[in-house]
Amino acid sequence: MRGRAGEMLVIGYCWACALLLPGVLCCVLGFLILKGGHTLGLELIFGDTDPIDALLLRRPVFDGLFPAMVGTLSLVVLAVGLAIPVGISAGIYMAEYSRGAVKRCFSLLFDVLAGIPSIVVGLFGFSVAVFIHRHFSENIYPCLLISAVSLAFLVLPYLIRTTQVALEGVSESLRLTAPALGASRFQNIRYVLIPRALPGIISGVILSIGRCAEDTAVIMLTGVVATAGVPHTIFGGYEALPFFVYTVASQYADAQELSRGYGGAIVLLFLCGGLFFIAFGIKRRMMHRAVYRV
Amino acid sequence: MTDPIKIQIRNLSFFYDDFTVLDGISERFRENTISAIVGPSGKGKSTFLMVLNRLWEGMPGARMTGRVEISQKGDFQDIYRAGCSLPELRRLVGMVFQMPNPLPMSVYKNIAFPLKLAGVTNREHIDQRVEKALKRAFLWDEVKDRLQQNAMDLSGGQQQRLCIARALILEPEVLLLDEPTSSLDPRASEVIEALLVELKARCTLLVVSHYQDQVQRIADRVLELSDGRFIQRTTDESKSSHLLSLNCENSK
Amino acid sequence: MCAIPLMVTGRMRRLDHVAELGFRVAAFSSAVATVGIFGFMAVLGYPLLTDGRLVEVLTSPWLPDQGAFGIFPMLAGTVLIASLAVLLAFPLSLGCASFVVVTGPRPLAGLLRKTVSVMTGVPTVIYGFVGVFLLVPVIRETFHHGSGMCILSAALCLAVLVSPTMILFFVDSFERVPLSQINAVDALGGTPVQKLLYVILPQAWPGVITGLVLGLGRAVGDTLIALMIAGNSVAIPHSMLDSARTLTAHIALIIAADFESLEFRTLFACGIVLYAFTALTVLLVRTVGTARKGAR
Repeated sequence: MRGRAGEMLVIGYCWACALLLPGVLCCVLGFLILKGGHTLGLELIFGDTDPIDALLLRRPVFDGLFPAMVGTLSLVVLAVGLAIPVGISAGIYMAEYSRGAVKRCFSLLFDVLAGIPSIVVGLFGFSVAVFIHRHFSENIYPCLLISAVSLAFLVLPYLIRTTQVALEGVSESLRLTAPALGASRFQNIRYVLIPRALPGIISGVILSIGRCAEDTAVIMLTGVVATAGVPHTIFGGYEALPFFVYTVASQYADAQELSRGYGGAIVLLFLCGGLFFIAFGIKRRMMHRAVYRV
Repeated sequence: MTDPIKIQIRNLSFFYDDFTVLDGISERFRENTISAIVGPSGKGKSTFLMVLNRLWEGMPGARMTGRVEISQKGDFQDIYRAGCSLPELRRLVGMVFQMPNPLPMSVYKNIAFPLKLAGVTNREHIDQRVEKALKRAFLWDEVKDRLQQNAMDLSGGQQQRLCIARALILEPEVLLLDEPTSSLDPRASEVIEALLVELKARCTLLVVSHYQDQVQRIADRVLELSDGRFIQRTTDESKSSHLLSLNCENSK
Repeated sequence: MCAIPLMVTGRMRRLDHVAELGFRVAAFSSAVATVGIFGFMAVLGYPLLTDGRLVEVLTSPWLPDQGAFGIFPMLAGTVLIASLAVLLAFPLSLGCASFVVVTGPRPLAGLLRKTVSVMTGVPTVIYGFVGVFLLVPVIRETFHHGSGMCILSAALCLAVLVSPTMILFFVDSFERVPLSQINAVDALGGTPVQKLLYVILPQAWPGVITGLVLGLGRAVGDTLIALMIAGNSVAIPHSMLDSARTLTAHIALIIAADFESLEFRTLFACGIVLYAFTALTVLLVRTVGTARKGAR
C-alpha cells in the first residue's frame, strides 16, 4: 500500500539522519584520538621543561601547551569576571524592573548583541584598541585586556538572557511570599528570587566560560599570538589553546608540531566538553535541592 | 459591645484590563472580628484581599479605583496615599496564602525572616519573638526541639501553621487569610480554625473560605462576593464552643 | 504595632534605590554597547560612504593591485557557503528532530538528544581542524579538482556545526504542540508519521522557520571554518568546488593591513553588512514569533 511505503520511507529517513550525525561526531573524535591520542601526557603540556619548574613559572616552556593553557585560563577569568556583574545585573533589571516599551527595546538590542558574529566583535575590539592607541596612550596595543573586554561583550547577552529567564521562571506565589511579609523589592530579589534562580544563572555562567575558552575569532583580532610564553601582564600578548589549534592547521613546522596540534585539539575538546557537563550537572543537582512545594 | 471600625472601604472597583472584578464596594470591618468572604471560584476573593495589602500592584493590566483606609490608634489612614511605605503596610497587614509556602530554610529562619527583612538584629529579641509567634500559632510544642530542621520537612498542616506564625511575628493588626485550610485534612483544619478564633483577640481577621461549615463555626460575619459586590449573609454573634477546648492543648 | 525603628526603613529604602540604580546602569550600558558597536563601525567606515563608493564597494571585485576594493566576491562567498550549509543541515536537522520526538524508539531518542546537546559544546576550531586534515583530502581525492579547500568542504563542515543547534530548536518547537492534540491523533489510530505530518509540523512551523533563520545566521557569522577550509581565494566562485572567501574570513585576513588605508576600511563595510544581516535575522525571528501567537 502506498501509505505504508510512504510511512516506511519517512521512518527510514529519520533513522538515517539519526545515525549520520552521531556518526560524524564519532569520526571527529575517533580521528583526533587516533592521530593524537599517543601524545597525551605531561610532555604534551610541558615539553622538555620540568613540570614543577613550569608550574612555578621558573622556567619557560617551549614546545608545550602550558603557556596556551595558562593564556586561555587568564583570558576566561578576566572576561567572565568582567561580564558577570554587568550581565547578571542587567538580567535582573530586565526580569524585575523593566516593563513595556523599554523592555521590548532592550530585549531586541540584546538579541542583536547575541547574534553579532564574533569576528565583528573582534573587529570592534581591535578598532577600539587602535583608537585608544592613537588618541590616549601609546602603550595600548591589542593585548590580553582588550581581548578579555571583547570576549566580555560576546558573552554578555548569554548572561543577561539566562539570568532573565531564570528569574522570570520563578512561580507567582513564591514571588509574592516575601513582599507579603514586608520585604522591599531588593530584599525579595536578594533573599528569595536569586537563590531560586541560581541553578539557571550558574549554568549560564559556566556556558559563558565555555564560550570564552573556545573562541578564536575574537582573540585573533585582539592580541593573541603564536608564541608569547605565559602572560606576564594584561597589557601584553598571550597564547591561547584554540588559536594554537588554528595555527597548526594553517601552517605547521614539522610532524611533531602536528602531533601536538592533535593533542591540543583533544585537550580543548575535553575542556569544553567538561565545562558543558559541569553546567548540566550543577543545574540538576541544585534543582533537586531547591525543591519547592509551590 | 460594638468594637471600633478597623478597615473602611469606599467605592472600591478593581479591573483586569476590561474585566471588572470588584464593582463599587463599600464596606467596614470592625476590630477583633472574623469576617468570612465566600463566593464562587474566581479571582474576586483573592483580589479583594490583595487590595488590602497592595500586593496586586505590578500585575499586568490591573487597575483600581476607590479608597481604602485602615485605622491605627483611632486614626484612619489611606493606605494608597503617596509616600506610604509598602513594607510598613505589610507589617501592619499580614497575609497567609492558600498553599503553604515556607522558604527552603530552617523553621527558625522562616519565622525570623520578616524580622530580618525589617532589620532587627538583636539575637535574644528574635529568639523571644520566634517563640511567642510559634506559641500563638499553636506550633511551639511540636517544633521547639526541631527549630533548625528544614521547614519543608513539616507536614502540610504544620507548614500552614508555620506560615501563620511567620505572618504573626510582626504582630500585624490585620490578618488576611486566603482559604487557609483548603489544602489540609480535617484534623489539621480544626486546629487552624481554633487558632484563628484565638487570634481574634489580637487582630482583625478576614478569611476567604469555600467551606460553609467552617464559616459557620468561626465567622462573626459572612460576606458573599457575587458579581463584584458583597452580599451580606448572616451576622452570627455566637461561636461554637467546642473549638475552645482545642485551645487548651496548644496554647500557653 | 511592632517597634521597628523608622531609621531602619530609611536605610532599606536607600539600599533599594542604590540597587535599582546599579541594575539599571548595567542594562543601559549593555544596550548602549550594542548600538555602540554599530556606531563605531559606521563612523570608521564613513569615508567609504562619503565618496559615494559604498555601492561600488558592495558590487565590485577585489583587485587591490588595480585599486579596486570591492567586497562582492566575499559577499558571494558568504551567500554560497552559508546557503549550501543550511541546505544540507535543514533536512538533516528535521530528520533528527523527528526521530527524537516522534519516530525513534524512546531510549534511543533520548540518547540522540543528549548526543546532540553535547555536540553544541564542540568548539568551532575543532571542526575546522578535523575538516582540514580529514575532509579536505577526501574531497580532493574524490573530485580531482583543486586543493580540496572549497565551498563544498566548508559547507559540509558548517552543516555539521549548525545542525545541533537547529535540531534542539526544532525539538523544542515540536514539543510545544499541545499534548491534547497529540493524544487526539493517537486515540484515532494515527501513525507516528501521520502525527508528524498532520499535527506537529503544521503547528510548529513558526519554530521551524525560526530555527532555519537562526541556523542561517550562525552559518553567515562563522569565521573559522570558512577561514580554514574554504580556500580564501578572491576570485568570484563559479562552482561548488571553487575556492571562496567569506566576509568573515576577509576580516580576519586583512586585519594586518594599514589601519588608515582604504583596504582596511572595507573591513568596516563587511562588518556593517554582517551586523545588518544579524539585525534582519532578529527582526525576522520576532515577526515569525508573533505570527505564531496570532495564529493561536
